[in-house]
This record gives sequence, structure tokens and C-alpha cells, in this order.
Amino acid sequence: MSPKAIQFRLGLGACCVALLLALVGIPGWVSSPSNVSNIVLSPTFWPYTLALMTGFVGIGLLLASRHESPDPDPTHIEGTDPKAWLRLAALAVIMMLTMFALPRLGMVWTAMIVFAVTAFLFRTRHPITALVCAVLVPLALYAFFAHVAGVAIPQGNFVRLP
Amino acid sequence: MSLADSLMAGLSVVASFEAFFALFAGICIGVVGGAIPGLSATMAVALTLPFTFTLQPITGILLLLGVYKGGIFGGSIPAILIKTPGTPASSATILDGHPMAEKGEAGRALGMALWASCTADVVSNLALILFAGWLASFALSFGPPEFFALILFSLTIIAGVSGESLLRGALSAILGLLLATIGLDLVYGTNRFTFGDPNMMGGLNFIAVLIGLFAIPEIIAMAWNPTAHLGKARSLGHTKVSFADYRRSFRSIIRGSLIGVFLGSIPGIGAAPSAFLSYSEARRKSPNRENFGKGEIEGVAASEAGNNGVAGATLIPLLALGVPGDVITAIIIGAFMIHGLQPGPMMFILNVDIIYGLFIGLIVSSVFLFIVGSVAIKGFRFVSDVPKRILMPAVLVLCIYGVFAVNNNIFDVGVMFAMGWVGYLMMRMHIPAAPFLIAFILGPLLEDNFRQSMLMSGSDPSILLRGPITWFFWAVTIITIVAIARNIRKIPRA
Amino acid sequence: MTLKGTSVAFAIGAVLTASAAVAEYPERPINMIIPYGAGGATDISARTIAEPLGNAVGKPLVMANVTGAGGATGSVAVQNAKPDGYTMLFARVGSHSVNPAMKATLPYTLDDFRFVTVYEINPAACAVSPSSGITTMDALIAKVNEGGVSYSSSGVGSFPHLASAMVMSEFGVADVMNDVTHIPQKGGGAAITAVLNGTATFVCTNSSSLASFVANKQLIPLLVTTSEPVVGFDAPTANDLGKDSLNQLVGWTGIAGPDGLPDDVAEKWGAWMAEATQDPQFTESMTARGSVIRLMDPVEANEFIQGQYNVFRKLVDDLGMRIEG
Repeated sequence: MSPKAIQFRLGLGACCVALLLALVGIPGWVSSPSNVSNIVLSPTFWPYTLALMTGFVGIGLLLASRHESPDPDPTHIEGTDPKAWLRLAALAVIMMLTMFALPRLGMVWTAMIVFAVTAFLFRTRHPITALVCAVLVPLALYAFFAHVAGVAIPQGNFVRLP
Repeated sequence: MSLADSLMAGLSVVASFEAFFALFAGICIGVVGGAIPGLSATMAVALTLPFTFTLQPITGILLLLGVYKGGIFGGSIPAILIKTPGTPASSATILDGHPMAEKGEAGRALGMALWASCTADVVSNLALILFAGWLASFALSFGPPEFFALILFSLTIIAGVSGESLLRGALSAILGLLLATIGLDLVYGTNRFTFGDPNMMGGLNFIAVLIGLFAIPEIIAMAWNPTAHLGKARSLGHTKVSFADYRRSFRSIIRGSLIGVFLGSIPGIGAAPSAFLSYSEARRKSPNRENFGKGEIEGVAASEAGNNGVAGATLIPLLALGVPGDVITAIIIGAFMIHGLQPGPMMFILNVDIIYGLFIGLIVSSVFLFIVGSVAIKGFRFVSDVPKRILMPAVLVLCIYGVFAVNNNIFDVGVMFAMGWVGYLMMRMHIPAAPFLIAFILGPLLEDNFRQSMLMSGSDPSILLRGPITWFFWAVTIITIVAIARNIRKIPRA
Repeated sequence: MTLKGTSVAFAIGAVLTASAAVAEYPERPINMIIPYGAGGATDISARTIAEPLGNAVGKPLVMANVTGAGGATGSVAVQNAKPDGYTMLFARVGSHSVNPAMKATLPYTLDDFRFVTVYEINPAACAVSPSSGITTMDALIAKVNEGGVSYSSSGVGSFPHLASAMVMSEFGVADVMNDVTHIPQKGGGAAITAVLNGTATFVCTNSSSLASFVANKQLIPLLVTTSEPVVGFDAPTANDLGKDSLNQLVGWTGIAGPDGLPDDVAEKWGAWMAEATQDPQFTESMTARGSVIRLMDPVEANEFIQGQYNVFRKLVDDLGMRIEG
């Protein structure tokens, strides 16, 4: 993507966000009591101000994009490699599963799996070390957080650690 | 009582092995606690608090102060090494510290962080000892209108950390302001963007947002291209900071320390804005302005001076007024109360021995910090030798534990992940993350103080210009904005 | 730890889980959730009782601060926990009397919890800054009628918010919502600072947080809400001023579990608390901070909290303070 394209898309995106906020987000999800004495004190005043500012910045970005160079930026990371997209998706799935597993499996066991899976996702050159670390790091962290810092690390429903 | 008598009284309570040992142990705990992201200086102080119940008052308080000071410095270690601020105050250190580590200069960056921290610590302690009374009465003249003007001015630092495009910096800042509106409304207590979820009512946890914005995008970027780092001179930072570096950054360090003292003595602002303000001032004054954000050592020095300058100064409102300046001092005040001490003007009359004992302890703490910090740097430097594809999963696991520990809430881990993707998207789109963070911290303060001012005056806006302090900040805000506008016009012409 | 060590840990863990079904409560550490931040009144109170209570329980108590939304985040965490007695809450006047009375949007009600004890009562007090020139309640009320009086609190729906409104209402201010301005702050420390620096005229909160400011002569106490005078506060009691109903206006700390907590667990807590509050060091450090130790058994605690809730709820409805949005 060229700087021009980035700037243009950002501008467009900001304008859309501003409109969405003003028309849907703020009326729907910011509740304001009926007895507000003055408009500047209303809970919606600041969100509306921000929506307005987002709109201005969006328009500014759109205008500025006309002056940007249309040549592709050499430092920009190009999104062509399909495997890269696959890895991104995999990481997103890992994160979602982590959220699901944390309260059920317990933090230590989840962390071990997360460690091992991400290390292989990153195609580590030291698979054995990675596996050993995957077991030891969460255990060491558990020992520290639970027994030194006294944090109630989630234990899950299956195997409890002392 | 003369100064000499007070000092002797102070010495008599503090001159014991236990007191100095507690201080030293506190600094060790603090550096380690601060260096663990999520654990942070606040948590480390909170965890140490119960141990002080059984100690002598002065010993217990010195222990906590040691943890506090160690923690603020310790936070810079992971900020530099793994781009994860150990404590919110060290988020400005990332801007130049992490690029330095990427260039293989981790040792130099850490060394500078330590030197700047210790210098700022000394300045801050001296300010506390010499000007506590004066600064405290100044702090009491800060009501909501003064705060509003000060924070408006602080928001102009966004221009200094926006990088190549001011517009994208502004976009980032507005995004931060928007996310900061989540939670309960201050004045009416109604829900704003909570989507019916009780976890959202408290707002997004600051540390979860912070770690999500800085550390997680690095991990996601690694999934995108696992071999991007190969061939870069990252491995090892056996470079050391030189005296020439220190001398070159000295002006920035002193300026940062003074900013820290000033912001620290006003309750309610905290160390992170101070570090950013110090950073952006250093950048503005530096001849190497172009190099800031790409690994400029003066940037590290300025941020660390800015946040450590706050540490001693937050004790000014605590001791002189009995008012906590931030979360950490709120915990420390708890320790005073447990021992039946009542911080405030009377304490300078009733408990002179304790006050001067604390002063003596504080002066010694700067020396201890230097010793412990030097050892810690040597110990933690190995992190830059760990293969990056082992390090990143470890960072991810560490962040999960740490972010959970902040508020014992799994929801915060989800916030961290979500913010990680936001941060990654911003990285891809060349949107700087620092303005987001500054806005996220300052946005609620700006809004709250505005509305409190309006409540005070019955919605009469003239209260925002009620005295010399507000006039001063409005004036510097306008001057800064004019300067920024001029800079923007200069660029297309060049 | 080696791999062998891990398998040992596995084995221990498995044994512990296997024995869970037959063992008697409690057979593992109990999570105690503190819904307010470290260093606050609830936190200090909870951590002071933690030691004697831990001795009585015989298993470690793991203290966890879950802060946010005026105590609601931590309370919800316990509301949703399994009612097995291994997740308990330090409930407080703000989270469990004032909040339910004031907020229609609160994600929990009193019925979602089972209170096993209340162990501490905090007298409340109102104070002003010396620079205001006010020294008595009468002078304050006279000033209210002139207009321009405001009070600070640690947030909407917090104890100081309701306390100030109740005091004003009891002293005959006709239209509390409009005659006096509420200037909410973020946190109890900020609420007192607001009075010190003149942002607000007065604050009503628990006496222990005001004690150091009163001792330092930075604030003047106008009133304490208990029938007995409070040490260190040179101010009339509510009964002296003929406002006996203000005696209801006290802070408290107690312990609650999720609704559905078994009876035997609740009974055990009652016995443990009776033992823990006998500890001389606990008594000493609590009274030094101005708290009154008053132990209630599960039945009494539920009645007390429900009673206070009803009083507050009526006041909130009368004044139109309820937050519906």
C-alpha cells in the first residue's frame, strides 16, 4: 500500500466511525438521565464532542491524502503471503481459545499449551527447548504469583496445583 | 527545634540495621516487581503492605518507599528489553529504549535509565526536603479549573510523539479518548458503552490496555513474519553507558526531574504523563530531534528522569497535607494510618523524628537504588540473548499472568488480547501508539475536571479562567499550538 | 523443577482433587475478594482480620482486590462464583447498602448474596474546611439557604454521596437535589482533597478517613452520626442535635458468599468470626483506627443490612436520587 492509499483509507474509516458513533453508538449505548440541567454536563456531551473530532480528523486525512506520494512504501509490510494470513488467523484462534480455557482448565495448563503452540506457530529452531520452557515457565510463574505474591491464580476444574 | 536537632532526632530513629535493611530489601523487591509486567510498582507496594503491620513505623514505611522507588525504575527494564512497560510510568521509555535494544544497545539504554533515574531521584528528594511546605500550598491551589488547563496543555505533547504525521497522531489520540469513555459516568453514574457487561462498568483496565497496545502487537507481528528479526544486530547488549552520554543528556535529565517534581507534587496526575511531558520537552529542545523515536539515548534519559522525579515529590502532598497523590501513595498512607501516624501539617511538629528519619532514608535510597539497579541490569541483560522465537511465547504467557494479577480478573486478559489486535492494526497503518496512551490517561481527567468546574460554577464557563495558574496554562497551551501549526506549514514548503 | 518434579506436582494435584468429594469444608485455601483498591478502608479492614481469621479457619485465605465501578466488579465476581464457600466477598456499606438502593442498573441485588457476618461498624462524620468559616451544622444549613453550598463524594452511589444527602434531608433542606450541589470525585482521598482545596464545601464520610485531617486541624468536624461521641472528634453526636434517625448512617464491613451458600458453611463462618474477633491485636488495631467492633451472626447480619437498605431506599426514592439510565 502507498502512503496515499493508507491515508485515504484511514480518513474514510474515521469518517465512518464518526457517523456510526453519532447515529448509532452514542444514542444506543450512552444513557443520559432525563433531569440533566445543562447540556455541557450531560454524559453524552463528551462522546459527541469526540465523534465530531473524529469526523474532522477523518476529513483532514482525506484532504491530506491528496498530497501524499502514490508510490508504494518500501518499508511497508506487504500482505501477499497467504501463509502469513493463515498464521495471523491461527494466533487469533489461539487467543480466543485461551479466553475459553482460562476459567475451565486453569491458568497454568492453558499457559503451557499457549506457549507450546505459539512457539511452533513461530517455527522455532529449538523445538526441544521450546517444549521444556513451555512446561517450566508457566510453573515458575505460578509458583511466583501464587506463593510469593499471593495472587489467586485460576485453578480450573480438573487438576489443582498445590 | 533547629535543623540540627531535627536531623539528630531523625538519625536516632533511622540509624538501625533493620531500617536500612528494610529500605534495601524494599528496593530489591521493587526492582524485581517493577520488572515483571502486570505486577507493577503499585502491586508490589500493595503486596508488601501487610508485612509492615508488624514492623516499627519508620522501618515499615521505608520498606514501602524502597519498593516504590525500585518499582518505578524496575519498570524500565522490560520496557527496554521486551517492549512491555513493567509499570505504566515507564511507557514513555519504550519509545526510544526498545529501538536501542533492537540496535544491540540494550546495556547502554538500561545504564542510562538507571543513571537518569538516580539523578532524578536525588533532585526529587531534595525538592521534598527543601520545598515541601511551599509546594504543598501550591498544590492546594489546584482545583478542577486549574487541572483542566494543565491537562489541556499536557495533551499538546501528543504532537511531540506523533512521529511522521500529526493527523495520524491525532487519530490515535481520539481513539484513546473514545476508549477511555467506557464505564460509569462520573456525574450521573449512568452506563457509557458498557454493553450491559458488568466487567465494562469499571472501564477498561489501564495496564491491560497498555500491555495490549505495546507488547502483544510484537507477538502478532512475529506470527506474520517469524523470521523478520533474523540478521538484525539484536543479540546482546554488552554496550555500556558512557559518561559522555550522561553529560550530553544532563540538561534533559534535570529538566525531566523538575517536571516530575512539579507534576508529582500536585495530587492526581501520576508518573506516566510526567514521563511523556519530559520526553516531548527533551525532543523539542534537542538538536537530534529527528533521531527521537528511533533509538535516541537522550529520550530514554528524559523519560526515566520524568517518572522518577515524581517518586519523591508525591510524598509532598502525602506528608504535608495527608493527601495521596496517586494509587501508590494511597497505599503508603494506609501504612501510616496503621501505625497511628496521621500525615499532615501537625506531623511536622508531633513526629519530627519520623519525618527527618524518612528524609535521611530517602537520601540513602538513591544510593541503594544505584547499587541494586546495576546488579539488576547485569542480571536481566541475558533476556536479550534469548532466541526471539522462544522469548515471544514466554512474553505472551508472562503478560497473561501479569494482566490477570492486576485486578484478579480474566476479563482483563481479553481486553489485553483485543487491544493487541488494535495495536497491530495501528502498527500496520503507521499510526503511532504513544498518543493513544497519553489520551487514554489524560482524557478522563480532562472530562472530569471540566465537568467538576461546571458543577462548581453552575455551568458558567468563566471559571475556567479564574486565576493566574489557569491563565498561565492557557497561555502556554496557545503558544504551543501556534508553534505546532507553524511547524506543519513549514514542512510542505521545504 | 525438572520433568520429574512436574509429574510429582501432577500427582499431588490429582490426589487433592480426588479427595475433594469426601473432605470437610474447608480443605483448600479460600479466595477472599475485596471489591475495593489496596490501601482503602475495606482493604485495610479485610487485611487486618485476615490473620486471626486465617488462624481460625485453619486454611490460608487468599486476598484478591477486584476493583472497579464502586465495588460492583468484585461483587459480581462473587455473585457468579460457585456457592461452595471457596469464594467469599468482603462486602461494604457502599457496595451492598448504598449501591443497591441507588442504582437501578446495578447487575446484582441483595438477594444474590448470603451474608455470614458483619464485624465492623464505622461511625460517619461531616466536616468542613476551616477557611469556610463554618463551625456548626446550623451555620452550614444557614449557608445552604443562601445558596452555593456543595459537597464532594467518592463517586455517584458511594456512601459519602448518600450520607451527605441524608444529613441535608434530616436537617430540613427542602430540595436536596437542587439546593446543594454534588461534586463527585474519583475516590475517597480525592473527595477529602476537594474540601481541603475549596472545590466543595463539606464532606460526610466514615470518621476513620477524616481522623487524620481533624487531628491536623485541616478540617473541622460538624457532626458524628453515632449516639456515642467519637474519640478525637470535637463535634456533637446526631442525638445531641436531635436527629436520632441519623444513627442508621454508619459504614460497615462484613463477609458474604453467593446466594445458595449451604447452611453449614454459613454456620462455620459464624464460629470462625466469633473466634477471630477475640484476637487482642485485631481489636486493638481496629479501635485505634476509629472502628467499632460489633460482631453479628449470619441472621443478624442479614437483618441489619436489609434494614439499612430499606432506610436508604426510601430516602433515595423520596429525594428522586435513583439512577435509572
